[in-house]
Amino acid sequence: MKVPTNETSKSVCPYCSGAFDSFEELKLHVLVEHQGEPLPKPPGTVTLTVNDRNHELQVEPETTLYQVIHDRLGLTGVKMFCDRGVCGSCAVIMDGRPILSCMTLASECDGAGIETAEGVADAGHPLVESYIKHHAMQCGYCTPGFITTAKALLDRNPDPTVEDVREALGGNLCRCGTYPQHPKAVLEAAQILKEERSK
Amino acid sequence: MTDKKLGPYQTIKSEGTYKIGLDKPTIDFKAIGKRGVRRYDGYDKASGKAVYTRDVNLPGMLFAKALASPYPRAKIVRLDTAKAEAYPGVRGILRFDDPEIWGMELTGSVAGTTRMAPESAGWAMLPEKRILSDEAVFEGQMVGAAVCADTEQIASDALKLMDIQWEQKPFVLDQEEALTPEAPKLIPGSDSNQIIDGRELNQHGDVQKGFQEADTIIEFSARRDAHLWAGAELPCVIAKWSGDKLEMWVHEQQPYLNKSILAEQLSIPMNKIHTYSLYQGCSFGERCNPSNWHQNGINVMAVLLARKTQRPVKLMLNRAETFYGESGDVMTSYFKIGAKKDGTITAVEMKNIFANYMCTTGVEHLVDNTRIKNLRCEGITAHVNKPPAWWCRCEQLPNVFCQTMIFDHVADALGLDPTEVALINDGCEGHDKSFLVEFKRKNGFPERDSLVECVETGRKAIKWEENWHPPGTKKLPNGRMHGIAFTWSHDWDDTRGTGSAAVMIQNDGSVSIIAQHSDVGVNPWTAYMQIVADELGVRYEDIEINPFDLNVGFALMSPDGSCNMVSNGFVVKKAARKARTMLLDLASEKFNLPAEELDVKDSVIFEKAHPENRMPIRDVVRVALPMLNAVAIWTEPPVFDWAWHTHGLWGMALETGRPRMCRQVNFLEIEVDTDTGEIFITNVVNVNDVGKAISPESVEGQMYGGTYMGLGRALTEEMVWDPKTGVLLNRNLLDYKYATMLDYPEPECLYLETGLGHGPYGATGIGENTATMIPGLLGPAVYNAIGVRVDDFPITPDKVLKALGKI
Repeated sequence: MKVPTNETSKSVCPYCSGAFDSFEELKLHVLVEHQGEPLPKPPGTVTLTVNDRNHELQVEPETTLYQVIHDRLGLTGVKMFCDRGVCGSCAVIMDGRPILSCMTLASECDGAGIETAEGVADAGHPLVESYIKHHAMQCGYCTPGFITTAKALLDRNPDPTVEDVREALGGNLCRCGTYPQHPKAVLEAAQILKEERSK
Repeated sequence: MTDKKLGPYQTIKSEGTYKIGLDKPTIDFKAIGKRGVRRYDGYDKASGKAVYTRDVNLPGMLFAKALASPYPRAKIVRLDTAKAEAYPGVRGILRFDDPEIWGMELTGSVAGTTRMAPESAGWAMLPEKRILSDEAVFEGQMVGAAVCADTEQIASDALKLMDIQWEQKPFVLDQEEALTPEAPKLIPGSDSNQIIDGRELNQHGDVQKGFQEADTIIEFSARRDAHLWAGAELPCVIAKWSGDKLEMWVHEQQPYLNKSILAEQLSIPMNKIHTYSLYQGCSFGERCNPSNWHQNGINVMAVLLARKTQRPVKLMLNRAETFYGESGDVMTSYFKIGAKKDGTITAVEMKNIFANYMCTTGVEHLVDNTRIKNLRCEGITAHVNKPPAWWCRCEQLPNVFCQTMIFDHVADALGLDPTEVALINDGCEGHDKSFLVEFKRKNGFPERDSLVECVETGRKAIKWEENWHPPGTKKLPNGRMHGIAFTWSHDWDDTRGTGSAAVMIQNDGSVSIIAQHSDVGVNPWTAYMQIVADELGVRYEDIEINPFDLNVGFALMSPDGSCNMVSNGFVVKKAARKARTMLLDLASEKFNLPAEELDVKDSVIFEKAHPENRMPIRDVVRVALPMLNAVAIWTEPPVFDWAWHTHGLWGMALETGRPRMCRQVNFLEIEVDTDTGEIFITNVVNVNDVGKAISPESVEGQMYGGTYMGLGRALTEEMVWDPKTGVLLNRNLLDYKYATMLDYPEPECLYLETGLGHGPYGATGIGENTATMIPGLLGPAVYNAIGVRVDDFPITPDKVLKALGKI
């Protein structure tokens, strides 16, 4: 085992705490000394839980969460619309809050739990059916961003007023102008959830 | 003339050509017109699982980007791409002087056989027509070179490494300034910036005579600045070659035209261009005509780069790059109107000066809708160094803008109720309403007065009697001035569409509609399925459509011209009727009865005289089940038939003698803060006579959706250029503001179903009407509030304060 050489050593062995000058040296060390253990993760590794599934990815410092979710994980529920944090179409729920994935660096999300519109749908959340029923969509490009933003609202406020819904969704742009339908759809989903809870 | 039996081609053509007259239903409506039909695209869209072109990533795909001109008018005198070529990750560069693109021009419609004036077809309106040229005529134009690389980032970085020497040239931004002698001349070899397109003068009757008949003459001017589509999904295209076969994924309203244009430009046989057109994140005309300057340009560039690199190439625009176009209603308007005391308009003379493209001269709705006999409209178009203009939900903007302005000024000048001035002038092509009554009678349409019904409905909803007041007279308790206004026109009956589709019954009795169709959000597929359900006699749930694949050979009318339902409704209706005939023919074998004695409803075939003698479609078509061990396809002919329908071609609606009979009215209530100039929208009432609502929720969706777009255009949507540099200053959605949920109240949307449309079951269009009507209506509302005219759109607070003399 190599002895640590100085204070600035960056790579530390997770199995014996030995420190190394480079990640390559650490990897070699683990291969030789700790056969049978998984290789350590290189810098830039983030772990994300997306729709209850665990992911471990290598990201560049400038990689956005949108790029990871859309381009790497293949989830189309994040949409590139305004391309600069104006429209809410790339919104995902991160640890309970709706955030703009196009304005969030993936490297800052290590360990985060993330939910996309696909996750909301797969979990059978009533928002999806109430959105369909109320035609709260036209071209549909902005719809997943509304769904995640509305889901985050209902998670923290199960009994919102129309004004609460309008305020929560006020940052989501819809060029087709579906706006009047969203409060109707969200309030109906809230009602369904309330009935489910009271059962 | 001897009766000659039509051959197969002429039969299809004859069956498919719209014959004037009400399309009376021959079936009971079950799915048609019903609320609560589950929308076909709903789950895909709400779950985020709908795939749009921009979502598609192919193995080995490269990303392309093009250089954008930083100047409004400039020529590249030197371009060194060596550094960019050497940059790691760069896989191919297309330069303006490469032989495969040098001199290639943006073409008009189909293979030179466009119905439009050659000058107005496609982007021929630009003085510089080359794709990836060395000359730019507006800031942001894609010029010089395009690069493709392993990532978007590398492609962007490589563009920065290009060494470019520009020669800047003098430019002009304003259309009226462009027409002055001292303006720089933009058209090579011409001493004028005026674009000649053959539509400069639209004249009916004798305006001088009309002015002599008038009791009063009204003169004024108005102005509209540029706005644009700003659709949700950013324009993009993917091209992939395999040998001589080209596959394309296009975000386009008219993917078939993309094929024909590419075939013409690059000599690729149309049958080798395999095209997919997935969900479309808005369009509004932006992704409409492939002759649209950049759209055609990006397709050509992607195809050439993909051929060069032998890799799939995706060319995506970012938001800033999408500000490459503007609406075709950038105009300065001058009006002179003659009217009698009772509100009868005797003559309208107007001059509209447009920038870069004239959608319509501005007088057409007065022709379509009124009995005004004397009309004279000059439509002048000037080249300016701004992006090309094009239809922008929709090409009727200049027409309804002028109609709103004219009627409001006339009513005000005469001190009359504007709703009454509308009624007194209602008519068609200079004729009074007796002409329309006669037409309705002759062609089987109901004898209802659409405008009267719309006006009555709208007046009641907005409480017109108690709310309307003379201009500048109603101060509210909150200190603001109250304004209310009214406008009207016909409901769009452009209906100049053509499409084809097949209906097929699968082995298990389920039904497929086979046809490509680019949806832009108007919920069309649900409506087509509703029609097929009722016409074929099957349950809505038993029908499926796969509209994404152009390679199936059938294509429905693209969503422009409000033609979706009016044309395509007929297509699927006819295909379903033909498939039904075939189905009953097959069933006659099973029932051992003539087909005429059978009927089909709810996916069950039965004997009309003895309905208990019945069999599900599934059991009837089962005779055609494939023998799985022997062959993989039909051993007996499948129940399958197709239909084609045309409602006419562009520019031909009136010529075919089809007056518009469905009317619409719009009311707007506002409050104006005279200290800040702010305008607050408090109430919107839209009443549309849609003839027949096939999908009621979709009709309403277009009405409230269009209201938000219209209000944005009226109040905030404006492209702002720096006059000194010619640079567009607000090319993003923070600074180009359109409506959010918080900006305006929910509009009240009411529709009538008089059956007065030329579409299936008497339907008419609805997709474009509200967004087009609302913007101009703000002018009359502001005038009614403050008593001073601000006919300069969009009406921003600074303009209000200026009109009030406060700044």
